[in-house]
Amino acid sequence: MKMDRRSFLAGTAATLTVPGMTGKVYAQEKIVRFSFPQDFTKIYTFVTSEYSQGQRDYITLVNERGGIGGYKIVADVSDHANDLPRAIEAYERGKREGMVLIDPLSTPVARALVPRALEDKINLITAFSGRSDAADGTVFPYVLPLSINYWTQAALIIENFSKMEKGDLKGKKIVFVHIDTPFGKEPLPILEVLAKRLGFTLIPFPYTPPGNDQSAIWPQVRRAQPDFVIFWGAGVGQTVALTEAFRNGLKMDRVSSSVWLSESDMDVVGRANAKGVMKVEPCVGGREPKVIKDILSDVVGKGKGAGPEGKVGTAYYNYGVQMASLMVEGVRMAVQKAPNGPVTGPWLNEGLTSIKDFTAEGMLPPTTVTKADHQGGGMGRIAQWDGNKFVPITNWYTAFQDVVWDEIRKYAEEFKKTGK
Amino acid sequence: MDIMLIAELVLNGVFVGLMYALVSLGIVLIYKTSGLVNLAQGALAMTGAYITWVIGAYFGVPIWLSIPAAVVLMFFGGVLIERSALRRMIGQPVIMAIMLTLGIEIALRGLLPGVFGAAVKKLDIGVSPAPLFLGDILINQSIMIGGVVSLALILASLAFFNSRYGIVMRAVADDQTASWSVGIRVEKAIAVAWGLAAVSATGAGILWGATQGVDWSLSLLLIKALAIAILGGLDSIPGVILAGLIVGVAESLATGLIDPVVKASTRDIVASVIILATLLFKPHGLFGHEHIERV
Repeated sequence: MKMDRRSFLAGTAATLTVPGMTGKVYAQEKIVRFSFPQDFTKIYTFVTSEYSQGQRDYITLVNERGGIGGYKIVADVSDHANDLPRAIEAYERGKREGMVLIDPLSTPVARALVPRALEDKINLITAFSGRSDAADGTVFPYVLPLSINYWTQAALIIENFSKMEKGDLKGKKIVFVHIDTPFGKEPLPILEVLAKRLGFTLIPFPYTPPGNDQSAIWPQVRRAQPDFVIFWGAGVGQTVALTEAFRNGLKMDRVSSSVWLSESDMDVVGRANAKGVMKVEPCVGGREPKVIKDILSDVVGKGKGAGPEGKVGTAYYNYGVQMASLMVEGVRMAVQKAPNGPVTGPWLNEGLTSIKDFTAEGMLPPTTVTKADHQGGGMGRIAQWDGNKFVPITNWYTAFQDVVWDEIRKYAEEFKKTGK
Repeated sequence: MDIMLIAELVLNGVFVGLMYALVSLGIVLIYKTSGLVNLAQGALAMTGAYITWVIGAYFGVPIWLSIPAAVVLMFFGGVLIERSALRRMIGQPVIMAIMLTLGIEIALRGLLPGVFGAAVKKLDIGVSPAPLFLGDILINQSIMIGGVVSLALILASLAFFNSRYGIVMRAVADDQTASWSVGIRVEKAIAVAWGLAAVSATGAGILWGATQGVDWSLSLLLIKALAIAILGGLDSIPGVILAGLIVGVAESLATGLIDPVVKASTRDIVASVIILATLLFKPHGLFGHEHIERV
């Protein structure tokens, strides 16, 4: 953690104090500029450090191998602290410096940047955050989640529950414990539709953010005698939820969450206590994927890693690698289409929306991004904590995309009409 | 409504309320001696928990030793805050000193996660998380032990105020000028109050940290602590206990009874309503003393 923060601070200091430096270094080279203003110090702290480390390590790997078609990737990292004025300042700074892609990793920041990105034609990446309806590329051409949105994640969880019950959830009781914020409430419309379609009873329990005290929630969950529990939060809300689930004697192998669950959360809950809990996996975890092995040997092994080696291969680190690999694949496709650029937002957008069956050498589910589908196909899988690591218990799959896309189109249409 | 659920919620609320009350104790201690409302109390609780974790994680010290070490460090940390920051505010409007404590709150909330990492950290004080049932009622061991320890510490502080030095501090609280005139070192008494407030914050931070993990969100305990201090009366230690119980039980019952009706979380609203209602209808709280000034 020490090294991680030091390297982050050093990188940020370099970026902030010598704003022209990166430009000068690459003045003679062809570059593609990404901007990564993210929340290192306030709300998204539980994920940002590892996610950013994964992104930077992957980009280092690509650059060390000569870049993409002669282009080097420049990643400007800064801290917006989930603060909208700071994020907008970082966006405008990035725009001045020629960024063609921005990844703020924050729902409120992403939502605030949507109108600017659409107007400026800068690719706004909203992985695991932002608006779920941004999957509709016809309405949001420059907003790209490139990952399974929360509606798809909820659908994947329900499909898995259904498989566990041999395809029949009729009469079952599913409790949804969620943080009482727009993010926490987001899966509710999908869950309500699926409850009607599949015949299960949905019981939601909202908790006050950030969720550090849920002691009055979980006795109610226990007394509801649910067949399954979905818990939906982030950071301390997740660890407290799991701890309370265990304290209340719930069966952990009937408890599932979104992508926001990591190894470090299991350390807080107690690795053995959390055994059996399930989560949605958007990419392969651990150090087995070839990309991660390459990073370990060619980046970390050569002392060029962006953070502590111990974090390489954690869930959130791999999410960072996943997203960076998709961004770089977008560059590769853009170079294929127009090798001489010019490097602009629309140039990269052409590349990003041409990604086809990309797996990053087996690390991702087959991902296809089109001008209409910015989610990438909506595939994920379920992994289960075995007391030491998350082990996949399903193959890559997608579920209830008709329901999910009904919702996507409904909200996208609303945005088109009202701008909200 | 299931009567056993209500009983369980009340029991949870009692223990949680006592844990809140321990945070609130620090606010009362400082107000009693210096007339200041310490808005840094939540961040002090977070700091105490972080320091306890750091001593264990970085130096490999066992928890039974890192707790007293953190308590001692935080006592001197509290004294240092008074000596280096608050004492400079003497002669300035009270609001400036209160704003200074708010500044300390914000600084600590940013500094510690920045230095030690913002991810949630496990603070294991040896309490089993395994479920413990009393009939149909779940006893949450973590908050039960937290509540009992909190009550013991609050009672200990009551006993302290009946000791020789406690009487000195009460004299300072009563009339600083008169205390000066009889040779009491008022500044020292106020510094000790800050030290003790930091100690109570550390106790609360450790107990809450063991329950939820250690991260910045521990500083949010300030809101509950303020609600309790205001309801109990800002200068009343017994008031802290009763108000803690009221706030804890009210929050817990609101979660069980109101949330399902309004389909939203009302837990934090309870504290806000208590603050507003107390200030409107009983500004000095349940046990607070009304100060009458002769003009």
